[in-house]
Amino acid sequence: MEKLLKELEQTDRQATTRRYFLKQSIGHMGAMALGGMMMGCDLFKGASDPSLDSLRLSHFAPKAKRVIFLHMSGAPSQLELFENKPLLRDLDGLDCPPSLLEGKRFAFIVGTPKMLGPYADFNQYGQTGSWVSHHMPYFQQSVDEVTFLRAMHTDEFNHAPAQLFMHTGSPRTGRPSFGSWVTYGLGSENANLPGFIVLASGDAIPSAGKSIWGSGFLPSQYQGVQCRSEGDPVLYISDPKGMPRDLRKAAIETISNINRVQHQEMGDPEILSRIEQYELAFRMQTTVPDAMDISREPESIHQMYGTTPGQNSYANNCLLARRLAERGVRFIQLYHADWDTHGSNSNEALEIGFVNRCRETDQATTALLTDLKQRGMLDDTLVVWGGEFGRTPMAENRGGKKAPFRGRDHHKEAFTMWLAGAGVKQGFSFGETDEIGYYGVKDRVHVHDLQATILHLLGFDHEKLIYPFQGRNFRLTDVHGKVVKQILS
Amino acid sequence: MRFRYILILLAGTTITLSAWQWWGGNRVDFNSQIRPIFNANCTNCHGGVKEQGDISLLYREKALSNGKSGKPCIVPGHPELSELITRLKATDPDDRMPLKAPPLADEQIALLERWIEEGAEWETHWSYVAPTPQKPPFVFSFWPENDIDKFILRKIKDEGLTPAEEADKALLLRRVTLDLTGLAPSPKEYDDFLNDTSNDAYEKVVDRLLTSAHYGERWAAMWLDLARYGDSQGYQKDRHRDIWQYRDWVIEAFNKDMPFDQFTVEQLAGDLLPNPTVDQRIATAFHRNTNTNDEGGTDDEEFRVVAVIDRVNTTMEVWQGTTMACVQCHSHPYDAFPHKEYYQMMAFFNTSADADHTNDKPVLRELSGIQKRQQAELTRFIATQKDTCHEQYLSARQKLDVIKPSRTPVMEELPSDSTRKTHLFVRGNWMVHGQEVFPQTPKALTQLPKGAPTTRLSLARWLVSPQNPMTARVMVNRFWEQLFGRGLVETLEDFGSQGAKPTHPELLDWLALRFMNENQWSVKKLLREVVLSATYRQSSELSEELLEKDPYNMLLARGARVRLSAEQVRDQALSASGLFSPKLFGPSVMPPQPDGVWQVIRNVVKWRNAENEDRYRRALYTYWRKSSPYASFITFDAPSREMCLSRRIRTNTPLQALVTLNDPVYLEAAQGLAWQMKQVTALNPEVSIREGYRRLTGRTPSQERATLLLDYYRQSVRHYRTSPRDVLKFLTMDYPKTPHLAALTATANVMLNMDEVLTKQ
Repeated sequence: MEKLLKELEQTDRQATTRRYFLKQSIGHMGAMALGGMMMGCDLFKGASDPSLDSLRLSHFAPKAKRVIFLHMSGAPSQLELFENKPLLRDLDGLDCPPSLLEGKRFAFIVGTPKMLGPYADFNQYGQTGSWVSHHMPYFQQSVDEVTFLRAMHTDEFNHAPAQLFMHTGSPRTGRPSFGSWVTYGLGSENANLPGFIVLASGDAIPSAGKSIWGSGFLPSQYQGVQCRSEGDPVLYISDPKGMPRDLRKAAIETISNINRVQHQEMGDPEILSRIEQYELAFRMQTTVPDAMDISREPESIHQMYGTTPGQNSYANNCLLARRLAERGVRFIQLYHADWDTHGSNSNEALEIGFVNRCRETDQATTALLTDLKQRGMLDDTLVVWGGEFGRTPMAENRGGKKAPFRGRDHHKEAFTMWLAGAGVKQGFSFGETDEIGYYGVKDRVHVHDLQATILHLLGFDHEKLIYPFQGRNFRLTDVHGKVVKQILS
Repeated sequence: MRFRYILILLAGTTITLSAWQWWGGNRVDFNSQIRPIFNANCTNCHGGVKEQGDISLLYREKALSNGKSGKPCIVPGHPELSELITRLKATDPDDRMPLKAPPLADEQIALLERWIEEGAEWETHWSYVAPTPQKPPFVFSFWPENDIDKFILRKIKDEGLTPAEEADKALLLRRVTLDLTGLAPSPKEYDDFLNDTSNDAYEKVVDRLLTSAHYGERWAAMWLDLARYGDSQGYQKDRHRDIWQYRDWVIEAFNKDMPFDQFTVEQLAGDLLPNPTVDQRIATAFHRNTNTNDEGGTDDEEFRVVAVIDRVNTTMEVWQGTTMACVQCHSHPYDAFPHKEYYQMMAFFNTSADADHTNDKPVLRELSGIQKRQQAELTRFIATQKDTCHEQYLSARQKLDVIKPSRTPVMEELPSDSTRKTHLFVRGNWMVHGQEVFPQTPKALTQLPKGAPTTRLSLARWLVSPQNPMTARVMVNRFWEQLFGRGLVETLEDFGSQGAKPTHPELLDWLALRFMNENQWSVKKLLREVVLSATYRQSSELSEELLEKDPYNMLLARGARVRLSAEQVRDQALSASGLFSPKLFGPSVMPPQPDGVWQVIRNVVKWRNAENEDRYRRALYTYWRKSSPYASFITFDAPSREMCLSRRIRTNTPLQALVTLNDPVYLEAAQGLAWQMKQVTALNPEVSIREGYRRLTGRTPSQERATLLLDYYRQSVRHYRTSPRDVLKFLTMDYPKTPHLAALTATANVMLNMDEVLTKQ
């Protein structure tokens, strides 16, 4: 409550700043002034104040110019990757004591589950001696680049709501995604590419569907544009078959010329905006396929990432993420699906599915960090890795029965995420969990805190990046969130 | 209004001052002059959420009391004794209000002093006061066609402007046809109207359009955003939901011009009417469009509560233009809605039988009235046929066979012995119960009639009772916005004190009362009157002067000019091309969509591109999966329908250009249009271009346009003559594969992308 009140005071003060002032004065269309590449809302016609560009400034000097968010949807187990808990190994197979279960809600666990020892061997790596399991042999070499958040926690323990929570700050549908907020606030660095691009790999997109990259109540120009590895990289970006490029060029020119005549007759500035959008679309038809074409990367790079052009793979998406980052895309959101490790079938088994997910991602994630670093891009690019929640130290026992494979239930109280690059400490670990990795005992970081911190790195006060809708000012962090200052470099 | 005021000053105009005038004489007006000062500067700390120093400026009683300091905040008649003024003028930054913010302007303080001197009267926010009868102002002019115009003209004149000429006949026909039916006029409709020189030619057109079967489809498109209608459940796997009977009910209700009060009662509480018909129960699916969470391991009670809360928020937004969502956690920060009232509203909806079941129970498995009618017609037709091998007979049989009941989720009350109690949720947390509450409407919005049972049915009737100050205003405003691109109250969804103020408050009241009383809630009568007004018929040409003085067209000294909606963009392309299927009603269909777009969560529903006439149905019938709605609609600003949305924010993006240039749907439309263009002449491209332009706009292209299009045609035909392979690739449909037709298709593709085609002007 106190935070809400603080926010309300805050917004009051903002009334005097120019940013807020203009935003209010143009109502919902303030968004347009801050627009990414995709400018132009017809309600904004007539206002052509060039100084509106200055609105795209952050609240203070940003450390990060862009974000690559590697979301492992389904929630990877922290207990098999980063959290070394010898005691849990000793407890393996024992009944969970009732004190750990009282007043707790789980997605599937019923009655008294058994404790489940880690299915992993742990060692310490790097100068910092960070624990990483044998499932991520590549990442072991990169631990000195990252800051671990070992006591993350969230409010939700079902996939779709938790993913929505991570990406929109609310467990319900209808709110703008992280990338939408960022492009709304910062625009794009590249006028010829969307500012918010989504790349999904694995069998499916995440449980919460496309809502997690939707623009919610922000204008639709801020929605994430999904780039696909099969078919058109962006829907309808290819000219129709049998329509050569020069003829398409002539078509755009004809449309623009007719629209200019139309503008002379009708005087509506929106027509000029449409002319711009058509010309931009034409340029995108070149820039998007060019950015998405990894075949021209040298062999050494393919080796490093483990990429094969033409596949829909996480590795390809990591390489694409670097290419898009190079071209100034503001928010690059990767999803890799199927981390949901219940033990109820082989794909959900720690022994099988989980190991495969690690293999699919480990090399490419590490290559991305290395590659960004060697290009000097890690200085102004923030990389974020993690799932939507964690997993229980207890084995899942759906229906009161032992699962056929090793698996863990959803767990909102403790999980690990890491950040690397712009503005965060290198080789740093923040937060601790108890001896079995069940609860954060020190320096817990809530999802809203993480969001506030990422916005901070991008130069935003998360309490000031607001959008008025349905009578109140909305934020990514709702009425919560605190910047985790301790991890800032 | 404060911010709009500033904006207009920014734009260098002076149209604002009279905006205040209607609020009355020389006395300081609380609503227009004082409340905005409070809301912008004070209520954050001294309002509904926070009452710092025990001071709240939301209610007079509270503001007149002594705060924590023991000094009276406001003493009516005595600004010098009022702590409010003392603190505003204080020089010590620790005392001066607003704290840690710039001081108020001297004029604002002077205004507050005057207001206190005059007695410090509080007024209810304008929208919570019932509409008052308005006399259309007298204006000496021949311009007005009806009373609406008098209100509009008064204001235009006050600002020293004049209304625009009537729009060109063809433009006007296109505008009114798009507005009333969502479709563009056919060539014959253009001809008929352009050749009709009678005085009432336009009126005849309007009456024809109001009886068109497509009228209901057009208005259903608006309503379905509010109803958050979709063909799927929303969360996780986002399974299929059989709820299209509801969509058809909405179309039919608009077509029959069901009075809006009945339309309301049937949707909110059809199941509670005495002996409800099947159709009345189908109507209640309005509130079964909430999302169902089928994810394993979810707590059904949690998501049942989410759905109930959504019903409260949606009901309040749709009918009351009131944003209640914030009251879930705490009292409304600006408007007079205490926390408890949210849960009293929730209590109306909390006793229904649905409970987030994956099978969407309770469902209705009955043929709708529409289906029974179709069945009877087909049976009658079949009985008259002798030749049982005839194509018409077979097709009728086939149509008859597919008429089946669906599984429409409907509202139903729990039996009284297993009904639920409703508690306040502390800080909105559904697991932390506060006191038990009982159904009651918010105090700010009048009460249920004395003795009325506290049921959903009473709530629905209360919404459309003459005492309710909101419903009629909110609704006429929605229809107005659909026609003019902007509501009389810009924030359709929020009539509260943080929403926009009406630009024409008297007109809003006049329209609202007329809608309820003279017109007995007839939407058709409302629309008819508006589109017959001179205001509506104005040309949308925009002079430099107008652009500067009124960039947003708030004064309506010109006609509306807005881009077509997602649905209209599609429907127009199909109708101009002759591919359009006029078929009404039935299960949703799947027009072409690229492979892989539905790579959503373990494909429990598959997208299969329709091959028959379903490929060319109106946009309204396109399968709407909430987690992955039809891609090109989203690009043109359609919402996902996961929650109620009053207002689509129009954008103008390159992705839109890519859709209408490259989406196979639009390439098929271009081929169809090219074929229509070719029908009128052997090989003369100029004639063909003129025909295409006429089909799209009803007009003859200007010399400049004709030349530009002809040049493009010539360049295209040169290419396709030398590259027969490109002809084969480009022409995907069953038309002759000639260079001429390929070039006409390329030209038609250009024409479908002209601003004047994508825009209603």
